Amino acid sequence: MRTKLCGVELKNPLIAASGTFGFGREYDELYDISCWGAISVKGLTLRPRRGNPPGRIAETASGMLNSVGLQNPGVDAFIRDELPWLAAKGIPVIANVAGSSEEEYAEAVRRLSDSPVAMIELNISCPNVRQGGVSFGTSPERVYGITRLVRACTGLPLMVKLTPNVSDIAEAATAAEDAGADAVSLINTIIGMAIDTGTRRPVLANVTGGLSGPAIKPVALRMVWQAARAVSIPVVGMGGITTADDAVQFMIAGACAVMIGTANITDPMSGPRIIDDFRRYLEGEGISDPGALVGSLRTDEADARREVFENRKSDVL
Amino acid sequence: MRRTVDVDATILSSRVIARGTTELALAVPRNAAPRPGQFLHIRAPGEFLRRPISASGYDEETGAARIIVRDAGRGSRAISGLGAGDRVRLLTPLGRGFPMESIIRDIASGKKIWLAGGGIGAAPLLFAASSVRAADLAIDSFVGFRDEESVIGVRELGECGSVSVSVGGLVTDAMTRAMESAVPDSILACGPVPMLRAIQKICAGRGIRGFMSVEERMGCGVGACLVCVCRTGTGDGWEHRRVCRDGPVFGISEVAL
Ligand SMILES: Cc1cc2nc3c(=O)[nH]c(=O)nc-3n(C[C@H](O)[C@H](O)[C@H](O)COP(=O)(O)OP(=O)(O)OC[C@H]3O[C@@H](n4cnc5c(N)ncnc54)[C@H](O)[C@@H]3O)c2cc1C
Ligand SMILES: Cc1cc2nc3c(=O)[nH]c(=O)nc-3n(C[C@H](O)[C@H](O)[C@H](O)COP(=O)(O)O)c2cc1C
Ligand code: FES
Repeated sequence: MRTKLCGVELKNPLIAASGTFGFGREYDELYDISCWGAISVKGLTLRPRRGNPPGRIAETASGMLNSVGLQNPGVDAFIRDELPWLAAKGIPVIANVAGSSEEEYAEAVRRLSDSPVAMIELNISCPNVRQGGVSFGTSPERVYGITRLVRACTGLPLMVKLTPNVSDIAEAATAAEDAGADAVSLINTIIGMAIDTGTRRPVLANVTGGLSGPAIKPVALRMVWQAARAVSIPVVGMGGITTADDAVQFMIAGACAVMIGTANITDPMSGPRIIDDFRRYLEGEGISDPGALVGSLRTDEADARREVFENRKSDVL
Repeated sequence: MRRTVDVDATILSSRVIARGTTELALAVPRNAAPRPGQFLHIRAPGEFLRRPISASGYDEETGAARIIVRDAGRGSRAISGLGAGDRVRLLTPLGRGFPMESIIRDIASGKKIWLAGGGIGAAPLLFAASSVRAADLAIDSFVGFRDEESVIGVRELGECGSVSVSVGGLVTDAMTRAMESAVPDSILACGPVPMLRAIQKICAGRGIRGFMSVEERMGCGVGACLVCVCRTGTGDGWEHRRVCRDGPVFGISEVAL
């Protein structure tokens, strides 16, 4: 099941997604969280943030909206109070970083670069903050700009987390690659809204929020496929993964690894369950390297290309 | 060791106890028994997110946790529709409950503590009352309900101390009237937000301490997703704290409702 992501060894390609797993402590009371390939922690900002007012969650058909708004203790408190415990778990820690200005991103990433985190996940896709967040991710120029800036601040592997709230995901992924990103991860949540007919008020105090869960899986899968075709750096896929079969689909579409988010919220034992099932799937298929799945999608187009290739080979022979 | 578990619990019994209100007994592992003020996070059949429901009792002999569910929408109706023998996935126990040990110590040393419940908010207080009784002590309650058909828990509370029941009126009116003869040292409260606000006011005015159980919409229920926060503290030092983990029971003046 072992795999490598930007040079970082993962015991399996399944990663806990940012914002749904805290800093790991709560789930570690339910099971040993070192079963994960890696953990992406709650989005960190340079200074502590209290986030948006409640209500912050609304249930939707096969999904949920959240408007947490990056509540977090800040990078320094994370490094001091959370990271030593989490790093001792022996699995790579991915620091998900957000900011409201370029300087904030840069300084937060600098401080993390001297810490035992394995990788930076640049969150330019949070839809729930008034300043910064998703606005850094909505045009290829801005994706390029912020990635380039942060790239210069860290020697750690840099993964850029893309927002689905764009018209062309391939363009966004290419911009991150061109600016020096080592990987891209996608998708973050899709901006949505819910209304309580009784009160005629939005269910979320923030009015809009980010949609996640199985409801977004087909969109996520499509975007991962498009991004993977556009770039040559690794793509980490997520969005509604609830079963090992979902995870396999993302890998077939081109993801080198996958992240699991909302499934942790609805079923706290999702991690160990999906990891076990994934292992069983690989065994059943006789695959030892999960990399064999990556981008193995069979389309007529891919089949035709393979045929041309095979014919050429036989011509040569 | 007592720990939180995610289990398939079997429904042992189910019974309608008031209009749109069902009491269920669920078999939970003994090392995961809830305490007063703690809650269970229940996967209602057919619903995406789980539903937080307070424990209203625990029977040491049978290992059954008791809950009282008021039909408020699809999820609560799906839970109250479960029958004996059905199984349901749930996390238990969750959250910080009432500090029963110190409450019982206070009562034993002669301090006066009241329970104050509004509507379905009486449910967790029944558990608090029965654990006071189990220590051979008594506790007085004030409960209020919209109408006769919604009344719950009066018999159980009556076995644990005196009960004042307000039907259609305000619990807090009954409490202020009673305070003319005796003021409690502290109050344990649960109920709708307007009632809790009124209790905060009464407590602030008379220097009464105590605890209340608050509600917020939840995701994970375990403290990881940060969707369930309430606002605590005052001035620049205010914070967003997690109802599921840091609560649901908070100091009575701690939360800005
Ligand atoms: C700590 C805690 C303890 C509770 N204890 C009890 C109890 O003992 N008995 C009981 O009947 N009810 C209790 N509730 C309220 C109960 O959780 C809600 O009535 C229930 O979730 C409503 O779900 P629904 O699908 O029926 O309603 P809907 O209104 O359709 O629910 C829509 C969404 O909003 C959420 N929601 C709606 N109302 C509430 C609420 N008041 N609190 C939290 N989430 C809500 C639901 O979970 C769901 O995700 C408690 C709530 C909390 C937070
Ligand atoms: C409650 C909640 C909080 C989130 N917080 C963050 C965050 O801090 N940083 C981030 O990059 N993504 C955050 N996300 C997005 C997830 O990491 C993930 O991209 C998205 O939810 C899609 O995957 P899923 O359907 O498996 O949850 C959050 C999602 C949820 C549901
Ligand atoms: S519900 Fe997830 S932190 Fe409280």
